[in-house]
Amino acid sequence: MPVQLRQPGWYRAAAFTVLGLAFCLALTTGIRAAYGYDPLFDFDAIAIVSMIGTPLFFLVGLGAFDYWFYWAAGKPTRAEDHSSHGANSWKDYFKVNTDHKVIGIQYVCTTFFFMLIGGLLAMMVRAELATPGSQFVDGQDYNSLFSVHASLMIFLFVVPVFAGLANYVLPLMIGAPDMAFPRLNALSFWLLPIAGILMSISFFMPGGAFASGWTAYAPLSTTQPIGQMCFTIGVQFAGASSIATALNFLVTIITMRAPGMSFWRMPLLVWANFATSLLVVIATPFIAASQFFILLDVALGFNFFNATIGGERQGNVIMYQHVFWFYSHPAVYIMMLPGFGIVSEILSAKSRKPIFGYRMMAFSLLAIVLLGFTVWAHHMFVSGMQNWIRIPMMVTTAIIAVPTGIKIFSWLATLWKGVLHLDTPMLFSLGFLTMFTLGGISGVTLAIVPFDIYASDTYYIVAHIHYVLYGGSVFTIYAGVYYWFPKMTGRMYNEAMGKLHFWMTLIFFNLTFAPMHVVGMQGMPRRVADYAEQFAPWNLAISIASFGLGLSTLIFIYNMVNSWRNGPKAEANPHRALTIEWQVSSPPPIFNFDSIPTVVGGPYEYGVPGAVHAVFDAKKPEPVAVGAPAEAETAEVGADAGSPEDQETKD
Amino acid sequence: MKNPREVTRADVVRMVVIGTIASAVGIAIGLWIDWFPAHASTQIDSISAFYDFLIILSVPVFVLVTTIVLFSVIRFRMRPGEEEVDGPPTHGNTRLEVIWTAIPSVVVACLCVYAANVLSDIDQAQANQVKVTAWGQQFMWQFEYSGANGKRFLDDELYIECTPTGTQTGQGAPCKGPQVAFDIKAVDVIHSLWLPSMAMKQDAVPGITTHTKINPTRLGMYPVVCTELCGIGHGIMRSTVHVLTPAQYSAWLQKKSKAAAS
Amino acid sequence: MPAALKTKRPRTEQRTMEAASIPALSKPADHGHDHDHHGPPEAHNSSTVDRQTLGMLLFIISEIMVFGGFFTAYFFIRVVNGNPWPAPGQELPELIAGFNTLVLLSSSLTMHWALEAAKHGNRNAMKLGMIATLLLGSTFLAVQINEYWHLGYAPYDSAQASAFYGLTGLHGAHVFVGLTLLTFATIRVFKGHFTPEEHRGIEVPGIYWHFVDVMWIIVYVSLYLI
Repeated sequence: MPVQLRQPGWYRAAAFTVLGLAFCLALTTGIRAAYGYDPLFDFDAIAIVSMIGTPLFFLVGLGAFDYWFYWAAGKPTRAEDHSSHGANSWKDYFKVNTDHKVIGIQYVCTTFFFMLIGGLLAMMVRAELATPGSQFVDGQDYNSLFSVHASLMIFLFVVPVFAGLANYVLPLMIGAPDMAFPRLNALSFWLLPIAGILMSISFFMPGGAFASGWTAYAPLSTTQPIGQMCFTIGVQFAGASSIATALNFLVTIITMRAPGMSFWRMPLLVWANFATSLLVVIATPFIAASQFFILLDVALGFNFFNATIGGERQGNVIMYQHVFWFYSHPAVYIMMLPGFGIVSEILSAKSRKPIFGYRMMAFSLLAIVLLGFTVWAHHMFVSGMQNWIRIPMMVTTAIIAVPTGIKIFSWLATLWKGVLHLDTPMLFSLGFLTMFTLGGISGVTLAIVPFDIYASDTYYIVAHIHYVLYGGSVFTIYAGVYYWFPKMTGRMYNEAMGKLHFWMTLIFFNLTFAPMHVVGMQGMPRRVADYAEQFAPWNLAISIASFGLGLSTLIFIYNMVNSWRNGPKAEANPHRALTIEWQVSSPPPIFNFDSIPTVVGGPYEYGVPGAVHAVFDAKKPEPVAVGAPAEAETAEVGADAGSPEDQETKD
Repeated sequence: MKNPREVTRADVVRMVVIGTIASAVGIAIGLWIDWFPAHASTQIDSISAFYDFLIILSVPVFVLVTTIVLFSVIRFRMRPGEEEVDGPPTHGNTRLEVIWTAIPSVVVACLCVYAANVLSDIDQAQANQVKVTAWGQQFMWQFEYSGANGKRFLDDELYIECTPTGTQTGQGAPCKGPQVAFDIKAVDVIHSLWLPSMAMKQDAVPGITTHTKINPTRLGMYPVVCTELCGIGHGIMRSTVHVLTPAQYSAWLQKKSKAAAS
Repeated sequence: MPAALKTKRPRTEQRTMEAASIPALSKPADHGHDHDHHGPPEAHNSSTVDRQTLGMLLFIISEIMVFGGFFTAYFFIRVVNGNPWPAPGQELPELIAGFNTLVLLSSSLTMHWALEAAKHGNRNAMKLGMIATLLLGSTFLAVQINEYWHLGYAPYDSAQASAFYGLTGLHGAHVFVGLTLLTFATIRVFKGHFTPEEHRGIEVPGIYWHFVDVMWIIVYVSLYLI
């Protein structure tokens, strides 16, 4: 066997992918033969099995499981040799790498790649909607366009990009040399492109891409062509990735904080990711369950959503919505809380003031987590569920405005009398503050049952969701990427182009989405390929503005790519921030620290004379004997992350 | 020159004045915009009044946030020579934090009470009801009526009856009619019955029957749309509701009953 | 551990990355100190719970929620829809499943026994405990599959059957995963890799195994008994 096929890497991955396809084909056909099904070769059955099985073969080929196989075979524990740590060339970003900094960059680049695809789909949606009637796609293709757009943006962009940013900075912030389970971390990253590719290639499936929205309500989704399974199975991979990362964050935050880093000294980004990870660990399994139901109904003929077998009420269609929204409502906080964390970091450092009401900021995050689990049915006020659920859900939803308000007002108070450095990250944070307020306000109106009866499933919802997810989350993502760009790449971005990006985004964002409130109220339902003549002028205006918004994204991409290649070298701490990640070089040394820093104060003590957040041990690190790193001394299992429970998350 | 970082009483007064004016203008615009396509039921009147209340409540919140952000940007921005200057180390203010927790809580509580009232109002069943069964199927609506001779028949447009309160009988003429109570059923997948001009919306769910009611108040023709994604033809799953005078309605009913009988 | 030395590979990291800490924070003596292998500093342990156990506990929370999703389906089909349980003509063999419950519960005991043996360094008891656990677990799975085989109805016959197969199938998959993990642990037990001080390799899969058992009791009670 050639050496390329024995070593983990892309050659082996390609070989295993082919092997996986062959295996899935053989397995499906074999089972069908055993049961005597006709026809023997059924494309849909083979496709479903392949979509589940082949990615696992691919991951094995790529080397994501190598260590665990070694461990499972009962081989003696080998010490972590760090050979899969750090990146020396761009090629290292295409390997299974256990360095949280490399994984962070892998995450951010991958997610922005899928964001561009999702953005392109959005442009096509707007092109189709520019005038009434059918332009260049039919109803099914139109439904595919917005379904894949939403799924990519949610599951492949907003949710994981936060995981990526946090992956990079969180261990640095708490003074940890890496995440708690580096190999699991690498696996969670590699599950992500699989999900993205599955969703993207669904356009090439017979019958077209999945077209039942990102919500995939049964029984529409159980009666769709095979492309639907790309969503159903893709979400499982994205969800597994999300859960594994959240576990990793929680364990890292709980067990690996630097000495002196009590919970009340953690930067708010860490708090935010702690809260988010709790949400992910508890809520994400529900979307897995909802998609298992769809999969079982489609592939094996289960009756979860078959409401009328034998003329009786048997399956329950509304159950899907309960299970789905029990994840997908917390999911909007999963997509927002890390952004709150990013904004807290930036507003404090860029206003040169401590964050106002630090403890209330942390408590309000936890309050949102708790309340977030009690509001799911506000997506279902007109769904036909029991009427009595509506009022309690309205009340809990409205109450969420209180902790969110606390955060907004505390950020405003942080600005007050500060020294505001109005560079790109700060501009995006301020843009977030105002835009998110608008999205929050329309959110409160939608929480109110009588108004929601009127507005649900109209363009008012589309406007609201984009105000919170674009004006909210995406603005914080931009802010975060600009803010940590020097740390992650060691280069400075182009400030002028960043400001241009901000102003274009802000203006075109509002021109695109603000009119949608009006069109929706005027009676235009969402998710329609065609609409009544009366909405034509508004829609044309929206489409034109949206192309401007698309253009602004290209400026950002150009700025990032160009600055990464040619930008001026960044200093260690260009923002003069106090948190630990800025106290090491840009980019940080391969193992983050020579020795773990000691935390001696709060993270935001700006303006306090002589305040420090963390001090680095003045004494030299212990000289380490060649080849015998500290872990080698620990007994069998090894203190590092190659431990048994990493394996369970494979299932 | 006075220190721009210092916030005087005059500044605060100015902010309050500007904020009040901006809120007033914003509320005026919000109330002036004709958000709803038509007001053809008592339900939409309640919801529209409630929406006005929401606008009056929300605009000042947005203005407050924006005013403070803009004021901070103008007054507290870093000026040349201040690169190394830090702000005052204010860590918090318990009184302020209590205030901005308490006030939104009270506002939210009021909002919920008002909303619960509106909800019970629009859901109120009247003694005098006309029952219509709406069937959602890919990709059309079917409305089932009981005809003059007791036979049931289907039509793909919605006809309801309403007695004119004035002399006019044209599009938009005021009327008062019996409440229409819908039983909504789905044949294949989930649909959602929405009458934008009458506000009410309810999903049609396979396996169960859902309900909603409207009290028509205007004669004429209004759109009916499906608002739950139901497949390839979701965008064209539209129909029309005809609000007819009793004379027109019984004429239509006679014609349909005859057609159904034959 | 000689194994550690064996697997050592030459380092290829660039010096520029290594020496990149801020001059003000690291002593000048650090620079030019040319140690070939520079591993990461050991993380500070900020919790009394060890990482593996904590990770497993959090993972179990996720698993409970997956079951929660399936129980929601069961609840809607049985309670909200008011369908008869089980569907008319579709019987559930409580007794066989009850026997199976005992089998699985006793496997929890043997698992605990194996762990105690590991803590006391009793290698033979540890081996015996692991083997017994594996056998009992496999028996459970075999009985479950046999039950499927003889039930006489399939998931597509009714919504109740879908909920039944869904929940028991999900649980069966967890038993399978648990058995796989325990097999790995058993291999290492036989290779003598665990000591009284270091036995997380069986402790952590053991936690998972107990979870699978407890979950079965809930599944059994709600599907078969009530």
